[in-house]
Order: sequence, then C-alpha cells, then structure tokens
Amino acid sequence: MQVVAVLLIWQFRRSLTGLVALLLGIFLFELIQPVAIASVGDLDRLQGILDLVPPSFLALLNVTPEFLGGAGLAGYLSLGFSHPVYHLLAGATVIWFACRGLAGEVERGSIQIALSRAVSRRSVYFSRLIGVVIVGAVVAVIGPLGMIVGIAIGEPAGSIRMEYLFIQGIASALLLWAIGGAGLLISASASRMGQAIGWSIGLLVVSYVIDYFADLWGALEPIKPFSLFDYYDPPAAMTRGEITGESVLVMGTVALVGALSGLVVFSRRDLP
Amino acid sequence: MTEDRGAPHAIVTSALTRQFNGVTALDNVSFQVDTGSIFGFLGPNGAGKTTTIKLLLGFIKPSSGRSAIFGRDTWHDGVAARKSIGFLVPADSFYPEMSGRSQLDFAASLSQSPALRRRELLDVLELSDRDLDRKLGKYSKGMKQKLALTAAAQHDPPLLILDEPTDGLDPVVQRNFEDYLRDIHHQGRTIFMSSHDLAEVERICQAVAIVREGKLVALEQMNELQQRRLRQVTFTVAEGSVPDFQLIGGVNSVWRDGDRWLLSVEGNINPLIEVLSGLQIDDLTISPPSLDDIFMTFYRPEGTDIGLIRDARRRQYSAGG
Repeated sequence: MQVVAVLLIWQFRRSLTGLVALLLGIFLFELIQPVAIASVGDLDRLQGILDLVPPSFLALLNVTPEFLGGAGLAGYLSLGFSHPVYHLLAGATVIWFACRGLAGEVERGSIQIALSRAVSRRSVYFSRLIGVVIVGAVVAVIGPLGMIVGIAIGEPAGSIRMEYLFIQGIASALLLWAIGGAGLLISASASRMGQAIGWSIGLLVVSYVIDYFADLWGALEPIKPFSLFDYYDPPAAMTRGEITGESVLVMGTVALVGALSGLVVFSRRDLP
Repeated sequence: MTEDRGAPHAIVTSALTRQFNGVTALDNVSFQVDTGSIFGFLGPNGAGKTTTIKLLLGFIKPSSGRSAIFGRDTWHDGVAARKSIGFLVPADSFYPEMSGRSQLDFAASLSQSPALRRRELLDVLELSDRDLDRKLGKYSKGMKQKLALTAAAQHDPPLLILDEPTDGLDPVVQRNFEDYLRDIHHQGRTIFMSSHDLAEVERICQAVAIVREGKLVALEQMNELQQRRLRQVTFTVAEGSVPDFQLIGGVNSVWRDGDRWLLSVEGNINPLIEVLSGLQIDDLTISPPSLDDIFMTFYRPEGTDIGLIRDARRRQYSAGG
C-alpha cells in the first residue's frame, strides 16, 4: 500500500498544473450558468428565448422546452451539466488523467522507473485507478461548487434545493467513473498517449452522438441504451433529486468492468 | 521468502527465446552471470541486447525458456527478482517537469531502501546540489544520464543492470564512474552492462557475451577472449618470393598493395612469425589487438572468410598507404 501511495502522490504532483487548469475551467463554466440566467431577467423571458431555439439544438442538452417551462430555475441550471462543453471539459479531464498515467508513461518509458524496482504492475495500476476515482469525484464536485458560487453572485430568480446539487454531483461522478474505467482499459492496452486519448474521446463522442440522434430520430431509439448518456439525467437530479437504480447499475458496471479489464490487460502486456 | 543473494549466479538465462509477431528477436539464449562479477553484454543495434534486458526486468514475457535473478524467475516472480536490481532507466524517461532531486527521492521511495550511495554517486558523477534543484527539462543529455545512473545505483543494489551506462558522459566522468563500478564490484556487487564502447567493456568487464541476430555467438571470460584476438600485421617484403600467406595457420585475411602486405591473424601468431623470419622484411608492424577486432570477427557476414574485417582493414590500409 505504501508503494501505491507513493505512486499516487507522484502522479498528482506531476499532473497538478493540468488538473488545476481543467478544474478551473469546469468551475468557471458552471459559475457562469446562474449568472447568465440572472442577466436575462425572470424565467419567463428565458423561456421565451428558449422557445426560439430549434429542437435539434435543445436535443444537444437532452431537454425539451416543455420540461424547462415547468422545471423552474433547477431545470435551467441542469443545462449546465448536460451541455456539450461540460461533457468535453469533464470527460477530457478524466480521460487525460487515465491516459497520462499508463499509456503516456509507457510511451515515454517512465513506467520503467517503477517497474524496474520491486513494484508490481498491479500496484502501478491501482495507483492509477485510485487517481481516476479521485479525479472523477473532484470533477463531479467542482461543477456544483461553481454553480453555488454563481448563484450567490448572480442571484437568479427562482429557487433550487442545494441538496439536489449534491445528487447531481453523484450523477456526474458515476458518469465520469464509467468514462474513467473505459479510459483506463484503453490506456492499459495502448503504447502511446495520443492513441489512448483519441480512442477514449472517440468512444465518448460516439456515445454522445447516439444519445443525441436517438432523441431526434425514433428509428435510433433501440440503440439509445448503448449510450452512457442515456443513464445520465441532470434534469432529474436537479429538479427531483433522482438517480435511477438502473443508472447506478449500468454506469457502475461499466466503470468496474473497464477498470478490472484494464488490470488484466496491463498485467499481461509487453512493455515496449 | 527472500531471494538468494548468496547464489552463485546473479543472472541465469536458460534457452531464453522471444518472438515478436513471428519474428525471433532472441533465440535460445543461455548464459550465467556469476555473483560478484562484471559482465559485458555486446552486440549491435537489433542484436537482442535490449530484448534480453527487458526479459530480465519482466517487461516482456519469454516465448519460451526462462530467466532468473538470484534464483527468482523474472516473469513469474518478478517483484522478488527486481528487489535485488538497480536498473539504468533511459535518461529521457524521467519527468522533465520535475526537479532532479524529487525524481531521486521518488526512485528511492519505490526502491523501499535508503539512498545510501546517493552522495557518493553525485560526487563521482559531478552532479551538484544546485543541479538537482533544477527541473529535468533544463538538463543536458549528460546531466540526465548522471541522474539516471544515480537513480539506478543510489540504493546500493546487489545487481546493477546498465544499458549503455556512460553514453553522454564526458571522458573524465566516464573514467570516474568506471572506478566506482570497480569499487562496488570489489565490495561484492554484480554488474551486468551492455555497451557499444568496446574499450570500456574491455577495461571493466571480466566476462563477455556477444549476441548477433538474436543468438549468443560468444560467451567467454575476457582473458580467454583476448587470447583469440585478431591481430593486424603489416609489412613490406624487400625482395624475394613470398609464400601463400593464406595457408599459414591463423591467418584469416590477406591484402596486398605492391610490396606491402596486410594480414589479419587470429590466435597464435608464431606460425606467421616463423614464415616472416625467412623473408627480407621492412616495416613490420603488429597492431595492438583490441576487443573491437574480436567483435568484428563475430560480425563478419556468414559464408565469407574475410568479409567485414577485410573491408575494414582494406580501408585502413589504403588510408595508411
């Protein structure tokens, strides 16, 4: 365990600058959501603006105008967690961390510093896994924190239950752990960081696109369950404080299967 | 259970073989490195040196055969095997965004043993405390190599595995480090080193293995190997007829330019001296033999008697003539 801790701390030390930059980006993105809503004025005016937005654009946010009309401030704020920019920033943070720790170190040869000593591949992998779990949790928390600060600054009309922001944090964490599990598996089998990031982002985009087009075209509805985003529902978390058991089960399983498969792959692979 | 550091052999490979996508990179290689010895591992790029080292470190799995360090299988019991190792990680593998000192501390933490020899190594390699506080991205190639050497040896491992250890070091530091290796060797440490610098291997090593195209082509004590050295003999025949030098025992290449002759002789040179004593000879020169010549012997293309050696000598001879 001591070695795992050493590896974990080292990984965070050398990733600190990049992590802080990405976390700051997420924090600021969520901070401006309530400020932007407040700048429009009351929620009816905001609804008027959203009524003009084509359905294909709203599908990007995974909501309908009718829902927003009835959901109040919490509904509007939930857009900040289903927005493509949030997915890009949050997903990129977890994927970057997962891919840097394994594929990046294999590519550079740095992995040899640990693995030429009495350190098992399992220890190296667990340190990366714990790192991804922590990063996923921090990313999930930093968004709601930014939003709370934004609410305090912007004072938008309407009300929101703060505990639902916590529920949203859990929903984000589940999604990010699932992404992190898949990212670790890809990173464990790759020998170049760019290759691992490319595949991971690619999977994320495909998953998002499936969810997006399934909302627009009924013909694609049957494949929607294959998208991770089908199990991620910020409006439900923010307006009702709800995460379904199915979401927990599917995203938890993806995270676990990805992480365990990555361990098996990394333990057996050749290190170039 | 701990590794047997009192084992007679620090490293044992038995029919070690590794294939990559059907191509054999290492073919049935067997050798032993005695505990407390300095062992040189030679071969050109692509010969299988790096593959062998990766197998010893458990970075890759053997296709067949096995290797062990102090009796511990390097793949199935790799963590225990690596407890006894200090490995020279390629200098570019370290983290450019971190300071030299933090990387040495990191390496020491992973070794789980105190960095007893760090100060000594830093002195030998002339790496200052001020250097250590700088980020590695600002290091020169030589400084990175010094840091890598310190990281490999600072915890005083029983076995050092060094791949091109003096690459990038200036000659003074190189000699200092060779002295350091001799010192720790006298204290019972084992050193396994691969190098392109044959003179360095000749100065330090007691035994040598040479690999070629994945196969072990020589495994000998240095003094035995030196007895089989290839000597270069040049002379001018003043007058009279000359015999067919090619028929003289030990002569393996002959080149002539007018009255001047160039011969390569392997092993015992006396039969040639006897023949030459019956001729009128001017300017007889017998070059000091080197490991380089031996190395070339093993690397001449198969199916030719003279090959690379003759070509090399011809160039040298023409330049000299």
